[in-house]
Amino acid sequence: MSSASATLESPATSGPKPRTRSRRPRRSRGVWLGIVGVLIVLVGAETLSRTGIVNPDFLPPVTEMYATLFQMLGEGWFWESLWLTLRGWAVGLGAAMVLGVLAGFVIGSIPFLRAFTNSTIEFLRPIPSVALIPLVVLLWGTQPQSAFVLVVYAAFWQVLVQVLYGVADVDPVARDTARSYQFGPLRIARSVIYPTALPYIMTAFRLAAAVALILEITAELVIGVPGLGREIGIAQSSAAVPETYALVIVVGLIGVAVNLMARFAEKKMLWWHPSMRSEHS
Amino acid sequence: MRHITTTSARTKAAFVAVAAIGALTLAACSDSGSSDTSESASGEAEMSEEPTEDTMAMEMTAITVGVIPIVDVAPIYIGVSEGYFEEEGLDVTLELAQGGAAIVPGVVSGQFQFGFSNTTSLILGVSNDLGIEAVASGVAATDSLDADFAGVMVQADSGIESPKDLEGKSIGVNTLNNINTSTINQMVRDDGGDPSTITYVELAYPDIVPAVVSGDIDAGQTVEPFTTVALGQDLVNLGSNFVATSPGLMVAEYFTGTDYAAENPDIVAAFEAAITKSLDYANSNPDAVRAALLDYTSMDEATTQAVTLPAWPAEIDGDTVDLLAELAVTDGFLTEVPDLSALK
Repeated sequence: MSSASATLESPATSGPKPRTRSRRPRRSRGVWLGIVGVLIVLVGAETLSRTGIVNPDFLPPVTEMYATLFQMLGEGWFWESLWLTLRGWAVGLGAAMVLGVLAGFVIGSIPFLRAFTNSTIEFLRPIPSVALIPLVVLLWGTQPQSAFVLVVYAAFWQVLVQVLYGVADVDPVARDTARSYQFGPLRIARSVIYPTALPYIMTAFRLAAAVALILEITAELVIGVPGLGREIGIAQSSAAVPETYALVIVVGLIGVAVNLMARFAEKKMLWWHPSMRSEHS
Repeated sequence: MRHITTTSARTKAAFVAVAAIGALTLAACSDSGSSDTSESASGEAEMSEEPTEDTMAMEMTAITVGVIPIVDVAPIYIGVSEGYFEEEGLDVTLELAQGGAAIVPGVVSGQFQFGFSNTTSLILGVSNDLGIEAVASGVAATDSLDADFAGVMVQADSGIESPKDLEGKSIGVNTLNNINTSTINQMVRDDGGDPSTITYVELAYPDIVPAVVSGDIDAGQTVEPFTTVALGQDLVNLGSNFVATSPGLMVAEYFTGTDYAAENPDIVAAFEAAITKSLDYANSNPDAVRAALLDYTSMDEATTQAVTLPAWPAEIDGDTVDLLAELAVTDGFLTEVPDLSALK
């Protein structure tokens, strides 16, 4: 774990000091490092292509990719596809979260169920979602339902397993105390299990968000479900190399955005949690 | 667990920026409204569907056709935009399946009423009793070995000068045990070579030319636009594997489900009439084909002008079906020639 806790004040300097002290320079340095890192990669790729070390017909210069990307931003089909991809991702992720959290709470709270389903879960979990492609194609062809099933299947296990860990992590003393105060199962779930499991749920959300995006794009690319993935496939089979890379860049940026969003949500939801708080009592 | 700084305020700032962009994006696309899942390949190219006087009165039947985003299916796009299908009372939705793997199952399961697939795949489908039958010719090779949409590409200094030299070499094809391996084997056989020594490597079409250029494989089978891309990389074309097997070989067909055809003979007849018209039109109007490519593929103007177009005869070529079935048996991925009447 990073020890770069920016706010550790030396114990010597006691007294109420504004807590923002010394954070700004560090923060901006991190941002700059990130930008420099990205620039090095971009310049490297550009150089490889421009000098012909890598065949520029198969890896066009980065500048050309971005030129194509900006050109695409002015075209209706691009936004349409982006919307379809994001919609498919969000709907599938939402369904997987709801199903996973519900199933996790129920299974995790009842020891018999947990023991009963354990082996089944462990059996189903490693089955790659893409193995279901022939099945969903048979059922829904190139319709969005095909992608939906793949996304939900992949993301559901991520959520379920995390939530099971979260529920198992509940302090038995706290739970027994709640029981002896005659709390009903719903109230125990809300006031005892939920706070303990929430960090796990947020982790599940972060993992599931990434997995869901990958599966959405895969379904579009492999099956032909409408969205950015399908456009990548069409660009590939049209030998439109810069457009292919431009679309891949877009998908990558969506991935970064999704991850930032998940982390942001985590911060917002867990502001009270020790792992998120930088004050030390 | 005491001081783990997971995300810091800098990520928050970055996120706010991304969120703002995202919100704008969503706002931008919710305006574009329609989230119809099946439109033309690149979302643009809205086919103008102006109902004419005499079609207004006719009952329109909605059908879905599974196609692939390649040159071969240009006629059906043209036919839809020219209104040939509407004239027959058909309201066509073209579903772009990626790679074609989804098309045969899609037709069998009723996702698509009609589909486009290569002839060998259909022969395999018939031999497995999938319940499919051909409706019309899909696309055919030209008559010229050097001027076809397909080719077998090698490096100029590879020492491979004729198909016989492919003995013992590795060749990239998009699908193993299918029309391309059958026809390349036949090409080598006709040139006095032994195709059993060839190692076939399955690669997606976009990856075949780079693999030949970099020397990962000795040769590669291409179709347009990759035939043009290959020649642009100074590769040498040994000739079209389709033309070498038989000039004008019928490479693919439009097909439907046997049950569907039995229940809806009128719709199948209407489809056949419309697609026949479309094939004839595409065959005699190459400029219309090149224009259509701009609509449903991502090819740029230069590519659409450069590609060699296939032939689109309207008649189903029964001899091709027999020949390809025999080659499949010769190659051993079919045990016997099935009853092929459904594909003729």
